[in-house]
Amino acid sequence: MRRYWAGMAMATTLVVSGCGLGGTEQEAAAPGPSATGEVKGEVKGKISLQTWALKPKFTGYMQGVIDAFQKKYPGVQVEWLDQPGDGYSDKVLSQAAGGTLPDVTNLPPDFALPLVKQGMLLDLSQADQKLAGEYVPGGVDAYRYAGFNGVYGYPWYLNTDVNYWNSELLTANGLDPDKPPADLDELIAQAKTVKEKSRGKVYLMSRRPELGDLTNIGVKIMSDDGSRFTFNTPEAAALLDRYRDAFKQGLLPRGVLTDTYAGNAKLFTEGTVAWTTAGGNFITSLAADNPSLAPKVVPSVAMGTPPLYVQGLSVSKRTANAPAAIALARWVTSAENQAAFAHLVNIFPSTKASAGDPFFSKSDGTPSGDAKVIAFTSLAKAEMLQPVQVTEAMNKFVRQQFALAISGDTTSKEALDAAVAKCDELLKG
Amino acid sequence: MSYRLTHRRWFTPWLLVAPAAVWLFAFNVWPSINTVVLAFSNAKPLGGGHFTGLENFARVLDDEQLADALVNSIVYMLVCLPLLTVLPLLIAVLVEKRLPGIMFFRTAFYTPVVASAVVVALIWGWVLDDQGLVNGFAQWLGVVTEPVPFLTDRWLLLFSAISLTVWKGLGYYMIIYLSALGNVRRELHEAAAVDGAGPVRRFLSVTVPGVRTTMLLVSVLVAVSALRVFSELYVLSNGTGGPGGRDMSVVMLIQLYSRGFTGHLGYASALSLVLLAVTIGPMLLLLRLDRKAA
Repeated sequence: MRRYWAGMAMATTLVVSGCGLGGTEQEAAAPGPSATGEVKGEVKGKISLQTWALKPKFTGYMQGVIDAFQKKYPGVQVEWLDQPGDGYSDKVLSQAAGGTLPDVTNLPPDFALPLVKQGMLLDLSQADQKLAGEYVPGGVDAYRYAGFNGVYGYPWYLNTDVNYWNSELLTANGLDPDKPPADLDELIAQAKTVKEKSRGKVYLMSRRPELGDLTNIGVKIMSDDGSRFTFNTPEAAALLDRYRDAFKQGLLPRGVLTDTYAGNAKLFTEGTVAWTTAGGNFITSLAADNPSLAPKVVPSVAMGTPPLYVQGLSVSKRTANAPAAIALARWVTSAENQAAFAHLVNIFPSTKASAGDPFFSKSDGTPSGDAKVIAFTSLAKAEMLQPVQVTEAMNKFVRQQFALAISGDTTSKEALDAAVAKCDELLKG
Repeated sequence: MSYRLTHRRWFTPWLLVAPAAVWLFAFNVWPSINTVVLAFSNAKPLGGGHFTGLENFARVLDDEQLADALVNSIVYMLVCLPLLTVLPLLIAVLVEKRLPGIMFFRTAFYTPVVASAVVVALIWGWVLDDQGLVNGFAQWLGVVTEPVPFLTDRWLLLFSAISLTVWKGLGYYMIIYLSALGNVRRELHEAAAVDGAGPVRRFLSVTVPGVRTTMLLVSVLVAVSALRVFSELYVLSNGTGGPGGRDMSVVMLIQLYSRGFTGHLGYASALSLVLLAVTIGPMLLLLRLDRKAA
């Protein structure tokens, strides 16, 4: 009998503690001193600023911005925390759950939403009534959430996707790099040409559709009140059917069924795929990974509505020095500081004052310069193609079902119905 | 005299076990209790959550993905259990012999154990990819015309992961068996040989009974770790769980539900308890078989 108990104890320890969950319910954040109304007061005291993976590459830039702020406001002491790129959401989650969220934190809109729901972030539209007038509407709207009044982040910098074509592969396989596909029909037609000419060794298409692709063909992802998902429409099924047929014809590599989005750019970098979408700075990173390919890349405008990627700075509602925290967030995201940042890396400022800056609107004639200008001009019509309510788990279930439909193991309708049912279940919690 | 008095203080044993006890309570006992409590709630990482009775367990019954994950975990265990219980023993018997150069083979078998599971799975992913070594070689030989979908077909992906687990585990269990074989008395082998028993007979009648307790230990370890498989399937499927998520293990599902700002801690905890229940079954069976054999 002793052996039985020893075995049971062993299993319990291995299974339960291995999968143990440490999380407990947390009280919603208590309202801070600046819960309503415009925040006014002396800018002073000690405040913390948390950024995401800026060290060591941009240490000099950020320290310069912070030093200038402290010089302007001698009574302020800024503690700068920079978190590594991996596991940032887990770090912010543990800070929020433990009540140690920094005064000013870099939060993309989807990270900020759960904190807004718990009342942990300051409504900046109340605290700083000049905000909406100084930042581009797309950036500000990214921090407005259905069911909540207010704006919960200063838009910091923006980016979007650009199409990148391998001109050498296109030419070698009978296509004109100056006339890249402008829509899915042309993309599939040219993918067939590439497959035939290269005898299946080169692909043009290497990514499966995601929710943003459904938005782009006019499918509504969620109901207006954000209470349920609605993307299981005949139009969405027709799009998945087209990808399934393309997959069946061998126009996409089989790895697309299990690959993540990063796989698309990876295959492009390896020179086995002739098309990828990526941010405006892709050629710069490509030049490091595959220097011989970088000069042969031709950028073009993304098909349909370009996606809008937003980073921002949010202010904790629990901050003890709200005037200083708001002043710091505004300072870091000011037109001057964003423009200086954009000269170091291909990101785009979210301030209206930067719109006329020729640095962004004129190319230096290189493919990288062309991509920057294409990305900058695309931002004018870029939108967030996926609702912020879509969580990591929902995204994974959607990708799994889309892959199943494209593999032909289920119908597109069944896959969409399953994805919507699961997303609704997760939304309701 | 003073030494004897100090030694007899009633709290001395408690002081000695305190560090380990605190560690055990903080990182094993308390998380286990917490998991049971959370399984009956709809807790989230950031607030909310209340007692929901058996709601999470009712949801478990309707979860098709969990059914797939349980099938995967059970197939994983059923294949790994005999392979990883018997093959390492055979290898241990082979490398136990004191022959010139035997250390090379011992080291070669043990090397995969030292490598990280994630790194090994990444390498296997490259090897089994459509453009990988195996498919390239098979196509070059003309055995197949199209690449074999090792990483995108539901069952091929599962068995690729199982192969990886078996390959990586051989060396680890081999070492356990090597130490057990050292305790099998040499006289028994000599007596059996004198009685005319051949190598197979001696293996079955002397070696196997001699390491039966170790075989049980290995079986239990293999069964528990196979049911809790994560890294191999996660890395080979690039975290996706394959098309439709049909290659997810139960632990992958738990990870999926428990992560992020909106993690469903209650449901993830209920899944943990389901996994516990599933794990206890084969353990009880193995222990019963051992008792009968004894």
